Amino acid sequence: MFKQVIFYSALLLLWHFLFSIKIWPAYLFPSPLKVLKAIIEGFRSHIFIIAILVSLRRALIGFGISILCGAVFGILMKKFKIIDDTFGKLVMGIQALPSISWFPLAILWFGLTETTIIFIAVMGSLFSITMSVYSGLKHIPKIYIQTARNMGARRMKMLWWVLIPAAAPSLIVGLKQGWSFAWRSLVAGELLFVSLGLGYLLMMGRELNDMSQIIAAIFIIILISVAVDRFVFGIMEARLKKRWGLEGAEAL
Amino acid sequence: MSLLSINIDSKVYSGSKNTLKVLEDIHLEIGEGELVCIAGPSGCGKTTFLNILAGLDSDYSGRVLYKGAPIIKCSQERMMIFQELGLFPWLNVQNNVEFGLKMKGIPKKKREQIALKYLEMVNLVKFKDYFIHNLSGGMKQRVALARALAMEPQVLLMDEPFASLDAQTRDMLHLELQKIWIATKKTIIFVTHNVREAVCLGDRVLVFSLAPAHVKASFKIDLARPRQIESEGLIEKVRPILTELKFEIERDYE
Ligand SMILES: Nc1ncnc2c1ncn2[C@@H]1O[C@H](COP(=O)(O)OP(=O)(O)O)[C@@H](O)[C@H]1O
Ligand SMILES: [Mg+2]
Repeated sequence: MFKQVIFYSALLLLWHFLFSIKIWPAYLFPSPLKVLKAIIEGFRSHIFIIAILVSLRRALIGFGISILCGAVFGILMKKFKIIDDTFGKLVMGIQALPSISWFPLAILWFGLTETTIIFIAVMGSLFSITMSVYSGLKHIPKIYIQTARNMGARRMKMLWWVLIPAAAPSLIVGLKQGWSFAWRSLVAGELLFVSLGLGYLLMMGRELNDMSQIIAAIFIIILISVAVDRFVFGIMEARLKKRWGLEGAEAL
Repeated sequence: MSLLSINIDSKVYSGSKNTLKVLEDIHLEIGEGELVCIAGPSGCGKTTFLNILAGLDSDYSGRVLYKGAPIIKCSQERMMIFQELGLFPWLNVQNNVEFGLKMKGIPKKKREQIALKYLEMVNLVKFKDYFIHNLSGGMKQRVALARALAMEPQVLLMDEPFASLDAQTRDMLHLELQKIWIATKKTIIFVTHNVREAVCLGDRVLVFSLAPAHVKASFKIDLARPRQIESEGLIEKVRPILTELKFEIERDYE
């Protein structure tokens, strides 16, 4: 913690120093103070709050769709070998595609609408979640299933009380990765047209030639990513470690 | 009528390249409340045999009857305690013990009551909130035992449960298991590769041969209980059984 305080203070000082020797014009390289002012102003006028809420809402919808579909796909792939051999291989291929490549296709299908942006967020995260559900289920030690069966767990009860918790170490990794892909794809998608949201905030900065707003928006995007990582997935990982000990921590 | 009437003609594992016959001509009757120990060289088919009795494996030729009816699937009346235990790391000790009761749909209050009763029986009440990875090897064994007992089965099938424990812990668990057996009157089939352990625990000790396994010899043990490894008279019983088993193990090297 102490080291980090030193590091960021030094970074701020360096930034301010570079600004004060005026190598670059101030409108291209604003001072830290100017950026801070832009952040405060942005929150005061509610523009930032609205952008954050709009973006988070889209990300959550996209992420939610990815979780639902990813769970279904992953379970089907584990259950039926034929689906694994066909669809599973396709998923591997599609996963390699940057999700923003779907943008032209999505525009033709859905127009310049919110659906297009959510679609891109889904395409960013769906397949990593699918793969983590699949591999999580695949690598469950058989012993858990046998003992559970002996104790009377069947079908949905087996899935809910045994398979999902047993796959948790892999699922958490997949969710975390899926979320970060969804979030990045979303911001990229929002850059491309008038969409409110954080990505659009970046574009607005560009159109107004307002570098301090651009940097302010970048800060906010980073801050939200870090906060979700720390508070949502960090807490899940800590819980997992407490329960599973080293065995579970290894998977993370 | 005996509780388990076992007639296995053969059990074969068939892989893509080769087939492996692991059990052959096993004919046995096991009475209610008996504690039978099975000793045999490792890899001879003991686990396979228990899986068949549990109902986890029905791919064999022969007939195995439980209370006169063929075993077709696993049942809570015959609980297996696997070598690897299979305790759930995502649940604490008490919830592990309650798991099967929850699957049965027993309400929370009642589950708790049953779980605590059996945790008490294995002296683990103090550790009920622990997660599995925080327990010692002996404690894990006791959780597995309590979890199986909580299902209130007729038969316990135990697969080399104490093999990985240190000597002191094992001695203690031998005593505890005998106490529990006397108190609950379960039928127990206990697999081990340790002859002393078999004699210490069993009313009867069966020696399995090398694969394909059959019952090579059967010994009645009528020493007073509770017994310990160093109990008087135990070593005399061990010797002839060890001779049988050694013969099998040496056969393995030929
Ligand atoms: N599912 C299986 N498929 C093929 N071979 C198996 C399988 N399970 C066990 N075997 C083989 O059958 C033999 C007996 O195994 P097992 O019953 O586990 O022996 P034990 O418990 O006495 O050590 C071993 O040679 C083992 O490799
Ligand atoms: Mg075995």
